[in-house]
Amino acid sequence: MTATSVNGESFDRGRPDDAELVAARESAGAPRPAHPTHRGRRPWVIERGSVPHLSLLLIGLVLSAAVILWGSGLGRFDQGQLTRVIIYAIAIAGLNIATGYTGLVSVGHSAFFGLGAYTTGILVVQAHWRAEATIPVAVVVCFVVGLIVGLPALRIRGLYLAIATLAFGVAFPEVVARFASLTGGASGLTIRRTMLRPPNWTGFTLGQKGEWLYWLSVAILVLVMFVVHNLVRSRYGLALMASRDNEIAAASSGVNLAVVKTVAFGVSGALTGVGGCLFAMYLGSLVANDSFTLLNAIALLTGLVIGGEGTRFGPLLGGLAVVYIPYYSSNIGQGESAAVIFGAALIVIVFLAPEGVAGAVMRLIGHVLRVIPRTPKPYQPERSAAPSAELP
Amino acid sequence: MQIFLDRLSSGLTAGSIYVLIALALVVVFRCSGTINFAQGEFALFTCFVAWWLSTKGWPLALALIASMAVGFVMGMVAERALIRPVRRRSEVATLIVGLGLFTGLNGADGWIWGPADKTFPELLPHSPNDYISIAGSRLHYDSIGIFVGMLLVVLLLTLLFNRTPFGLQMRAVATNAESAALSGVKVGRVLSVSWGISAAIGSFAGVLLVPVLPPNQLDLSSFFSILIFASAAALFGGLDSVKGAVVGGLGLGVVESMLNGYGTFLGGSLQLTLALFIIVVVLVFKPTGVFGARRIERV
Repeated sequence: MTATSVNGESFDRGRPDDAELVAARESAGAPRPAHPTHRGRRPWVIERGSVPHLSLLLIGLVLSAAVILWGSGLGRFDQGQLTRVIIYAIAIAGLNIATGYTGLVSVGHSAFFGLGAYTTGILVVQAHWRAEATIPVAVVVCFVVGLIVGLPALRIRGLYLAIATLAFGVAFPEVVARFASLTGGASGLTIRRTMLRPPNWTGFTLGQKGEWLYWLSVAILVLVMFVVHNLVRSRYGLALMASRDNEIAAASSGVNLAVVKTVAFGVSGALTGVGGCLFAMYLGSLVANDSFTLLNAIALLTGLVIGGEGTRFGPLLGGLAVVYIPYYSSNIGQGESAAVIFGAALIVIVFLAPEGVAGAVMRLIGHVLRVIPRTPKPYQPERSAAPSAELP
Repeated sequence: MQIFLDRLSSGLTAGSIYVLIALALVVVFRCSGTINFAQGEFALFTCFVAWWLSTKGWPLALALIASMAVGFVMGMVAERALIRPVRRRSEVATLIVGLGLFTGLNGADGWIWGPADKTFPELLPHSPNDYISIAGSRLHYDSIGIFVGMLLVVLLLTLLFNRTPFGLQMRAVATNAESAALSGVKVGRVLSVSWGISAAIGSFAGVLLVPVLPPNQLDLSSFFSILIFASAAALFGGLDSVKGAVVGGLGLGVVESMLNGYGTFLGGSLQLTLALFIIVVVLVFKPTGVFGARRIERV
């Protein structure tokens, strides 16, 4: 057990580059087994499912509930911003499946975001559906399109897939403009306010649309995080991470790379599409050349990298970054400074903290607290993932 | 016949532009095995430099040379300072640094020069009367100029690759960087200079093409779609092949022009989708492209 971890520890001291590498890989949901640190104090080791572990989880749950309730009491503007944070967090959580966990960099997720948004918009405006009923349709549409765009992943490495996704992201506004009768084209698609009336059973009036949307977004975010959590810990999630860390080793262990990667791309697109649906409901007017361009795709990716690729909470932090960095920097540099900050942040984070903010925080917590599996079992996801991550 | 020739010449003009940016991609890919996503934004930045110099009263030819020099330095610095340190770590890291450059440069252009569109001065004669007539079809001088410029770059690159010691070193690095290093080739310098050359080609292309492309103005998203067309062209021909980039670029330009002219099903507005389609099909069925060398990866 200690062979790899001691190795990792010595890298921490001696060779910064490799320590980054190790940290980046480990941040991806494969915590190192507990081991004594060499710096005097041992971390507090608790077992998964034990009383201290459960009470910590409970504290976390209560804190999250408190934050959510605080958000529900905010004024209209701040609550709207928070809703946007949540919407982007959902979209970035989708991107995280492909880029964070599977290592397929996507530069075109703005298109999935837009696809979800337009699915909702078109069904609501043209077919008079209830807005929230369109979400399952958007999931299916985005999943199928994700499979198609992810097809190049069947044969080749990430670099080429990135080109395909880049083209997908750039081409999306053009497709929207082409089908102007359906999408409103360049002038945009406007969803009338009354069409987004909250359902009667919620008790919200039309004037409380913002609050309804906030609660809907919170509910979907919780659902998405739950799904991602379970997905990543499942057998399929292990296959994702294995194919990211070492394709050849994964394939020789029986992972069907083509299927795993393509499906990952589909799932990723579907989740981002859900974010798009909520975005359509939030904004009420869709203009592809504004909201779903290549720069938006890069913003999503920036959010993910800042928050932390392959981490559970990275997307949330990423959502905060994507919403608030442009908000606070809008007075600097003729309104273009957000792009510069995003670009600089991408480069700085790749150099200094590849695990992102969430990953860095988790690593710091790891110095004082470690959660280990309860009893040794023949099949343990954490341990079986760790060695493959350490192999060169 | 006249309409056909018109479409052919406009296709060849657009194709030459794709060829130029595709060549920039190919030069980088040959040496470092990666795609520079910021290629278009390098070109955009240097176009802004050329535009800015021309507003200061510089003659455009001089501004072009200055912007190519800026591009060369940018390419070298980007490779040395940003790409090389992360290249060995992972492909994902390289991609993300490239995207950081992409969005950072795009924002910087807007920050320095303002987000409004710029009217770009023309390097080539462009008035409606500047044309020669072939079988009733008009061949404008600026189209000819771009085509000749493209041929010139292809010629120079071919000479560089095949006839100079530095080209030999570049090919050695592309084939096997370690062996090249053992034979005394300064791999790092070769890589930096290749990135510089590629960025300089990009700025040359940019200054030529901005006045010719449909909006005829310099705008922050000018190069998004050109990068996509160029990638489609480079992928189709094979990312490591100069010949492939030329054939792919010209082919794409002509096909696109003919489809817009004769096939109405695209509605004249789905060019990017066509490029996306080509990219996906090439990647799925023949990832090495038509002229690309088969790459064998050691397990």
